[in-house]
Amino acid sequence: MFSTRGLPSRTALPSFLRLPDVLATNTVRTTTSLPRRSVTDHLLANSRSRFNAHQRTASHFAFRDHFNSNPLLGCKKDSGLIMNRLQRRVVSMWPSGRKSDWQKALSDAEKVVGYPTSFMSLRYLLSDELSNVAMHLRKLVGTKHPILKTARGFVYDGNNSMQTRGLLVLLVSKAAGPGGEWEEEEEEEGEGEDSNGRTMVSGIYRSQRSLAEITEMIHTAYLMHRGVVNLEEVTSADGTVGDMSFGNKMAVLSGDFLLANACTGLAQLRNTKVVEIVSSAIADMMEGSFLLEQDNQGVTFLPDKDWTIKDWTNHSFLCSGSLIAKSCQAAMMLAGHRLDIQKKAYNYGKHMALAHRLHADLLPFSDSSDPNMPFALTSAPMVLHMEHAGRAAVTDKITQVSDKAMKVDYKQLRLEVLKGPAVHAAKELCYDHSQKALAAVTVFQESEAKSALENMTRAVTRF
Amino acid sequence: MSHYYFDGQGKAFRPMVVLLMSRACNFHHGAAENSLALPSQRRISMIAEMIHTASLVHDDVIDEADTRRGKACVSYLHGQRKAILTGDYILTVSSMALAAIGNKDVVILLSQVIEDLVRGEFMQLGTKEDEDERFAHYLKKTFKKTASLLAHSCRAVAVLSGSSKDVQEVAYQYGKNLGIAFQLVDDMLDFMSTEELMGKPTAADLKLGLATAPVLFAAEKYPELNAMIMRRFSEPGDVELAREAVTKTDSLQQARILAEQYCREAVRQIQQLAPSPEREALVTLTQKVLNRKK
Repeated sequence: MFSTRGLPSRTALPSFLRLPDVLATNTVRTTTSLPRRSVTDHLLANSRSRFNAHQRTASHFAFRDHFNSNPLLGCKKDSGLIMNRLQRRVVSMWPSGRKSDWQKALSDAEKVVGYPTSFMSLRYLLSDELSNVAMHLRKLVGTKHPILKTARGFVYDGNNSMQTRGLLVLLVSKAAGPGGEWEEEEEEEGEGEDSNGRTMVSGIYRSQRSLAEITEMIHTAYLMHRGVVNLEEVTSADGTVGDMSFGNKMAVLSGDFLLANACTGLAQLRNTKVVEIVSSAIADMMEGSFLLEQDNQGVTFLPDKDWTIKDWTNHSFLCSGSLIAKSCQAAMMLAGHRLDIQKKAYNYGKHMALAHRLHADLLPFSDSSDPNMPFALTSAPMVLHMEHAGRAAVTDKITQVSDKAMKVDYKQLRLEVLKGPAVHAAKELCYDHSQKALAAVTVFQESEAKSALENMTRAVTRF
Repeated sequence: MSHYYFDGQGKAFRPMVVLLMSRACNFHHGAAENSLALPSQRRISMIAEMIHTASLVHDDVIDEADTRRGKACVSYLHGQRKAILTGDYILTVSSMALAAIGNKDVVILLSQVIEDLVRGEFMQLGTKEDEDERFAHYLKKTFKKTASLLAHSCRAVAVLSGSSKDVQEVAYQYGKNLGIAFQLVDDMLDFMSTEELMGKPTAADLKLGLATAPVLFAAEKYPELNAMIMRRFSEPGDVELAREAVTKTDSLQQARILAEQYCREAVRQIQQLAPSPEREALVTLTQKVLNRKK
């Protein structure tokens, strides 16, 4: 969701982990546009990149030669990589000046929380289980199984775009500061892990750091599981059924593995309310993914019935807002904050997620470099466009190729949407959500963490 | 979709064990006049079945099975992606229910089960080179995939009954031993039973490249099986040869003896509780597990 490739520190990676040139151009551009860092920041960045590189070297050892020589990466015209292209596009679409708004907000935010934001701690990535998966994944290179995309996301996006959720949780934790009163029962058993959970590092409880990590794991597991393909719909262009089915196995297992770890991690927080609320966020995500049909490459179909912006909001909340909002609230619970503060944190997470989602949905409409570039038919501007011009205005541009495949005249469609009021309305909505998010954080006292939250919120409304 | 398997057609073996164990523990703990299962214990039994069902849904995708409990499985009907998300949904609903009980230790116990299930599935992917190690690997995998759920949920109800650490351990050991025996019998039935009875295809393990106890025993007599185990019965004719070898040797008998040993251990453990009708039922259950046909 949050695409933020290429912080400067990432360029210090060993050569085999560096982006291929096609992808790396963006990185270079950003680097130059970022402000110079102080010496301490530099040190921090260095140690962080060493840590990250370490992490990746070890666990993705098996990937590396394959991904570097992967024919798919260089093959831009490949329709199977639509989503991948979209993602890459998203990055290149940010003109360097504007991109740095979000980038800067993010890198400042990382400094505030103290640690590098690599939550996927070594013990998970280095576990036998995941390196096993990595080894098996080599067999799939050359097919179009979505799990490769997810795995590539790890290697190339670094831990960035994947881990903004955790960052938000940490920032909210820090902004809220130390909690008031502990619950009585927590005090009673205050030994061992519990007392660990109460230690604060750079103003964040250890339990809150675990929670941030868990949030990331849940999200990644969701990405993996959403990438399971329906074998019935596999076409010969995707790869053989055997390969795809094997890819499914890997996707299911690694997703399950992350979910299971998230479960045990949650249990160890020793707070059943937190377990309940975070579980309900997972349930929301699953529910959300049943609202819209997708094909094997993750392209969503137009829903059968008319969709209003309300449906869109509901769906987006279930799919991405719920996890962030509920994790933020859970972080407050862990620190023992009052209910009204919990509610504010929840609202911040919810509106921030929605605003960011709108921002991402709007990107295809602010770029003119490739008029044929596909975009989601269920994105906010499209839904607003249909509300305005009627469903037929969109369905006219779609030719059904078969039951599960369609062709869309994206060029024409984009032009029409741009002519109507939908883009403006979507921007308004984005602004609206970010205002609500800002209003929610006013409850916190002024602090670095608070202004980092505010900066991130403002950054998503700049187009 | 998530209601699909909860139609009362399953054996409901796990909830039954858990409920009986709750009552046995309550009785042992001194609630002689009212040993009925507590609402929280009932909930554990439901959660146990939900976790089991969620794992079935995922297993069916991994194993590419098309029938389960005598009907088409979810992944076959609705496509794999939805099946997986449904499995996740069931799992998270169960963990919400678990959290609602409000006992931290119980939450930790049952989340251990989920982790074990996944680790068991990963263990199933690999085969150990060494023959001695292979059997240990098999037993460990069996514990994680089947017995862990029973063992931990039995311990959870013991915790909820307010029993002492000793009683909790008894409940855990009973569940563990019964679970392993259950799976051993399951693996035997894969060779003996017919498709209609089981509600799932037979000789399925071999086709998936898995060497279960009967095959491992047979390999002691027919060393050529070892090569097949290593290549996971991938060459044509391997499955048939292995089946034949199993029927020619007394490996099924050996597997049965092993299962009996586990059952005896389960009985020995449960005898430590105060005598009650439920305790007797749990003892009888071990015999039922041994003699089951489906």
